[in-house]
Amino acid sequence: MHIAGIGVVSACGRGVGTLEKALEAGGIHPARKEIPSLSNETMPVCSVGQETMTDKKVLKNMRRGDRFSKMAVLAAWDAVEDSGMGLDGGKGKVGIILASAFGPQVTAFRFLDEIVDYGEASVSPTLFSHSVHNAAASYIASALDNRGPTLTLTQFAFSFHQALILARAWMQEGRCESVLVGTAEECGTVMEYICSRKLKISEDGKIRSFDFSPSPSAVPGEGSVFLVVTRGDGPKRYCEIGAVSFDDDGGEHDVDLCILDADGMSEDESCYAEIAEWDVMMAAYSPLFGSMMTGSAFHCASAALMLMKQTRYACPVQDNPHGVRLCTATEQKRLERIQCIKYGCSHEKAIIELRR
Amino acid sequence: MVRVAITGIGVVSAVGRNLEETLDTFRQGAGSAGTVSVFPTGLSYPVFEVKDFHRTAPDDETRTMSLALCAVEEALLDAGLDSELSGVRVGVCLGTTVGSQLNDLNFYLKYRRKESVSMRSVDRYLKGNLAEGVRRSIRARGPSVTVVNACSSGADAIGVALSWLRSGVCDVALAGGADELNPVALCGFGSLGILSDSTCAPFDRDREGLNLGEGAGVLVLESEENSRKRGKEPRLRLAGYGSAADAYHLTAPRPDGSGLVASLQRAMSEANVFAGDVSFVNAHGTGTEDNDKVEGAVLKSIFGKDVKFLSTKGFTGHTLGAAGGLEAAFTAAALREGWIPASAGFVNEDDEIRMSPVRQQTSIARRFAISTSLAFGGNNAALVIGCCQEAC
Repeated sequence: MHIAGIGVVSACGRGVGTLEKALEAGGIHPARKEIPSLSNETMPVCSVGQETMTDKKVLKNMRRGDRFSKMAVLAAWDAVEDSGMGLDGGKGKVGIILASAFGPQVTAFRFLDEIVDYGEASVSPTLFSHSVHNAAASYIASALDNRGPTLTLTQFAFSFHQALILARAWMQEGRCESVLVGTAEECGTVMEYICSRKLKISEDGKIRSFDFSPSPSAVPGEGSVFLVVTRGDGPKRYCEIGAVSFDDDGGEHDVDLCILDADGMSEDESCYAEIAEWDVMMAAYSPLFGSMMTGSAFHCASAALMLMKQTRYACPVQDNPHGVRLCTATEQKRLERIQCIKYGCSHEKAIIELRR
Repeated sequence: MVRVAITGIGVVSAVGRNLEETLDTFRQGAGSAGTVSVFPTGLSYPVFEVKDFHRTAPDDETRTMSLALCAVEEALLDAGLDSELSGVRVGVCLGTTVGSQLNDLNFYLKYRRKESVSMRSVDRYLKGNLAEGVRRSIRARGPSVTVVNACSSGADAIGVALSWLRSGVCDVALAGGADELNPVALCGFGSLGILSDSTCAPFDRDREGLNLGEGAGVLVLESEENSRKRGKEPRLRLAGYGSAADAYHLTAPRPDGSGLVASLQRAMSEANVFAGDVSFVNAHGTGTEDNDKVEGAVLKSIFGKDVKFLSTKGFTGHTLGAAGGLEAAFTAAALREGWIPASAGFVNEDDEIRMSPVRQQTSIARRFAISTSLAFGGNNAALVIGCCQEAC
C-alpha cells in the first residue's frame, strides 16, 4: 500500500511541513512542566502548544470536543488535504482507523473529578461521552463526512502496527479504497505523574535512543499523526509501505536506514543493541516529538518524508556510547528502503518497512 | 475469498456462565435484573450481573479479563482446540470499553489528595490489555488487537478477525468482546438519561431505557479448509461483516438510519445474501427511545415487517463492549439449535415502530441470521452468520 498524504500535530507544530522543519533543524527544546502531585518538581514534556490547536474552520463543530479529539481531527484533516484526494463526501469509500495506547485519559480523569466533586448522580454527560476511546474517530468521521468503516483500537506499543495491518486487509478485501490510519496520544497531569513514577525521566530533556540502556530515560510526548494510505495501484505521493512484521528472524536488513523507536517508554531498551550489529545506518527522531507508545507513527511519517525528499536527516541527539553507525549529518542521499523498528515491553520486535 | 467457519462458541453473562446455562434461561423466557452488588453505589438502576462467578485467577486479573478468559476457554473446548494451539497462528481480537480505561477511582482519589499512590492500579492496567492478556494466557502465537469502538466493539472485533483470516494474518482467530460492570460507566450512562429504573423492554411501546450488564462472548473462527484439515466439519460460518459510520453525532444515531443500512448492505453483499434468505435478526435493541426507533425502521425497510427479530438485552442487559460478541455467539447458537428465544421484556407494539419482535420461543430455518450493533460515536456494525449447506 502507498502513503498518499500525511498530517501531523506534535510539539513541533501542525502539518507535515513543521515536521520537515524540525527534522532539518535537528531538535526542539521540551518545556518543563510542574507535576502537581509532586510539589516543587518539574519534568520535561514535549507538549502540543495551544496555538497549534486553533483552527476555526476545521474545528467549527467541535465546541465541546476535547483536546485529544481536536488533535486527531486536525491531523486527519491535514492528511486528507496533503493527499489532494478530497473528502469522501459520504460515499463510504474511505476507512478510518485510529490507534491509541491510552485514549482520551485526560477527559476520563476529568469525568472522575465530576464523580468525586458532584456525586454519582450529577456528572456531565458531555465529559462521559468524550471519555470513550472512539470519540475522536467519530469527530473525524463527522468533520470529513466520512461514512466508511471506522475503528479505534488499542494495543499499547504495537497499536499503530496493528492499525497498518488492518488497513491493508480492509483494502485487499475491497472494504474501502483508502484508509485514514493514525494515532493520537495526550499527556495530561495524571499521565505526567505516572510517567514520573514509572519511567526514568531525562533530566536534561534529551532522549538518548542509542544508549540501549537497561534503564533508559524518557521525555513524555503527545500528538497525532494520520496517513492516507491507498492500495498498490493508488496515488503514491510519499512511498510504499512494505511488510509490517513481528519477531522476524533477523534475516534481510539490506536497508538504507533503520529508525529506532527507542524512546525510554520501555523499562529496558538493551534489546536494541541487537540491531546495532546489523551494520546499517541508524537514526532516531523521538527527541522531536517525545516518548510515546505510538511513536512509531511519527517515525513512519518521518521516514516517508525522507523517501520522498531523498534526504537523510541527522539524529537530533547524537550521544553514541556503543559506536553504532549513526546518521550524524543531513544530506541528500539515494534512499530506497527504510525500516522503523520497535521493541515492546516484553522484547517483542516489530518492523515497518517503507520503500521508495 | 476464504470461507470462514465458526467452530467454537463461548459465553458468560447474567443469562448463564456457559452456553448450556444460557440456553436453559432462554427457554424459560425471562432475564432477571437486580441491584448492583459488585461495587458500592448510591445509584439504584437495575443491572444484569454475572452471579456466582468464581474463577481461580491471579490477584491482578481484572474482572473483564476473567470474564473473557471464561468465554475463551469454553469456545476453545467447543472448537476442540483446548489442548493444542502450538502448531497454528492464533490471533486474538476482542472488544471492550471498561477494560481499556484507567479509571480506578481509588487510585485517582489518592492522586488528587497528593498522597503516596501505589502504582499497582497502573501496572494492572498495563498488563490488562484485553486481547494481549488473553493471547498470553492461552500462549497464542499470532496478532492481538483490542477494539475500543464503544458498544459495537465486540461485533467489530469479529469483523477484524474475519479480515485477518481472509488476508492470511493468522490461521485461527478468537474474537468477540468482554466487559465488566463498572461504577464509572453506571454514572456515565445515568448522566445521559438513558438508564431505565425498571427492567429494560427493547422495542416495547413503554420502554424507558437500557440496563447495564456484564459478560463476554467469544467465537473461534478459522478457514473452513483449516477446520476440515483438523477433522472438524464446520457447521456454521461467518459469511459477512459490514461497518459504517454515521458521521452525525457522538451519542445519537443518525435519524434516517443510513449508517446502519450501509453496514447491513455491506455485510449482506459480502455474504451474497438477500433479505429473503435471512431467518432472523438479533437486533442491537437497547431499549432506548432513539435506538429502537431507528433500528426498527431500518429492519422494516430492509427485511419487511414480518421478519423474525429479537433483542437479547432483556436477558443480559447492555454489556457494552461485550454486547457484539455475546449477541454474535447467541445468533450462532440459535442457528445451531434451530430456535430463538422470546424477546424478553417486550409486551406492546410501538406505534412509531409498527413491528414486533418474537414474543415466544420460535423455530427458525437454519439458513442465515444477522446480528446488528450500534454504538456511541455513530458506529454501525452488522454480522451475517450462516449454516454451512452441507451441515443443514
